[in-house]
Amino acid sequence: MILFKLAYKSLLNRRASVLLTLLTIAISVMLLLSIERVRVDAKSSFSNTISGTDLIVGARTGDIQLLLSSVFRIGHTNNGVSWQSYQYITKQRGVKWSIPISLGDSHKGQAVLGTTLDYFKHYRFAKKQPLAFEQGLAFASINEVVIGSEVAKKLAYKIGDEIVISHGMGNTSFHHHDDNPFKVVGILKPTGTPVDKTLHVPLAAIELIHGGADNAHDDHHDHSNHALVGHPQQITAFLMGFDSPLYTLQVRRNINQYKKEPLLAIMPTVTLKELWEMLAIVEKILLLFSFVVVIISLLGMLTTLLANLNQRRRELAILRSVGARPWQLFSLISMESLLTTFLGCLVGCILFYALMGTTAGYLQSQAGVSINISVLSDYELTLIGVIMAAGFVIGLIPATRAYFYSLSDGMSIKI
Amino acid sequence: MINLENVSFKWQKNAAIPTLVIKQLIINNGEHVFLHGPSGSGKSTLLALLAGINITTSGQLCVLNQDLNALTNAQRDAFRADHIGIIFQNFNLLPYLTPLENVCLGCQFSKKRQQHVFSQANDLVSEAARLLNALGLESHLHNQNVATLSIGQQQRVAAARAFIGSPELIIADEPTSALDTQNRESFIKLLFEQAKKNNSTLVFVSHDETLKPLFSRTIDLVNLQGDV
Repeated sequence: MILFKLAYKSLLNRRASVLLTLLTIAISVMLLLSIERVRVDAKSSFSNTISGTDLIVGARTGDIQLLLSSVFRIGHTNNGVSWQSYQYITKQRGVKWSIPISLGDSHKGQAVLGTTLDYFKHYRFAKKQPLAFEQGLAFASINEVVIGSEVAKKLAYKIGDEIVISHGMGNTSFHHHDDNPFKVVGILKPTGTPVDKTLHVPLAAIELIHGGADNAHDDHHDHSNHALVGHPQQITAFLMGFDSPLYTLQVRRNINQYKKEPLLAIMPTVTLKELWEMLAIVEKILLLFSFVVVIISLLGMLTTLLANLNQRRRELAILRSVGARPWQLFSLISMESLLTTFLGCLVGCILFYALMGTTAGYLQSQAGVSINISVLSDYELTLIGVIMAAGFVIGLIPATRAYFYSLSDGMSIKI
Repeated sequence: MINLENVSFKWQKNAAIPTLVIKQLIINNGEHVFLHGPSGSGKSTLLALLAGINITTSGQLCVLNQDLNALTNAQRDAFRADHIGIIFQNFNLLPYLTPLENVCLGCQFSKKRQQHVFSQANDLVSEAARLLNALGLESHLHNQNVATLSIGQQQRVAAARAFIGSPELIIADEPTSALDTQNRESFIKLLFEQAKKNNSTLVFVSHDETLKPLFSRTIDLVNLQGDV
């Protein structure tokens, strides 16, 4: 008890240098926790992008390429799936639902996705959460559009606004369809997935933009009365849900061996995992950096402790003269380092939550990573435990020196 | 109380000439002894031996009828905490504790001295305050920062720390060298008063021979070693 009090008072007496040491530890703990949390949450956001979908089917290409283009809107496939094949496959036994998607158009750099109403009914993200509307409802007419929350925010669109969709990707498209404006009828709730950055139009409208460009366009007739009828010759891909996993595997095999058209069926969960493994190296480097920061901060503490120790030899000699044993001085010094590390970790956690609290919104909108501001996970607690243990072990070095000083100095300092 | 016989001490094991050689030295219970000698005559060495920080290279050294050579390091540490109070030259207080806390520190590493305090007072702090008052440090200074006290006041705190828990032996290592003559004498008188009250033996070490007349017994370390 007296040792604890002495350690506390002594630390308080040297508060400037102790505070600096504490701060370096706190910042390194904050950094480690933040990187760790972002890493874990990025991973879960990543795998949360799509859920409940058993198969994604597209033209034959690489697994990851199909996943990237159909789910993440990154890159695009050159070929599509013919409407006949889509019809044929989705009529197989065990198919619970299917969502055709058609990509390749854009609006001010945001992806445009042509689909059916099934999209709003069956598409799931995160933990099988369905899409929900912030405002308005799904499209009911061919010239209506449902936009993601990010699109609405970024381009300041609201219900009733009329927008123009261009052919091809990117801002500088050759072909603007000025004569076919779309009306915003629905805004989706934020999902933290690429859905937020997507404009959803009826599949039939895509037919008008692309495939039917020759005929539909030249007619210059008003589309406003069109109901959601018609379909394109080709779609980019389609998502499927099955009644049972057994069907999934069976249909997948059939699709991959489908004779009429070269198609590829992937299981998104498996491919997501493969993709994440490719990114694992970045993740590991980040983690390595944060560990190095922790080590540097602990070495900083060691330096400060050792530098202080020389000035404190008199203090140790005084304690010795009033009867403190060498081992008590040893515990005094190691207790101080433990206390510093503990407080450093505590402040680090506070800083971590402050940082996460302030940047969660930004990460969500910019990187699509939804940060989970919850209590520390077991793994994070283990990390903190490891830092505390390392701080304690490092504190043993000056403590050992204090032990031997106190033996050789006795009651008066002889240098 | 203290009994040295044929004691010699070398700092290094294979040093040719021992730092200290004392054929015989006996200090009786309750004596106030003035131990003096020029610098380098072995005063500090003798104190380190009496306090059990170092042990004799040869010969026998008994304090309170306890042969210090027969104790282990840990036992000697405990012995020192229980039976010996030490007053240093100066700056001997922990700067981050108040005067009261510094005084209490004197018996916080010894159960025996704490028990002694509790047999006379209710708690450590009131006993520490009583000692400080007795040594002439006013109450309003008791909780002040130690660094703001004058050297003379700091010496009083150091003395109170040595006396708390009534240790049998008080060792004062040049405690007055930073004080002027007048303060020196009044401080020594206060020391005597407390030592008498607690029935403590006082070994006062200094190179300042002008203090000699104040003590009942004087030991010249040079002569003592010359006896060999």
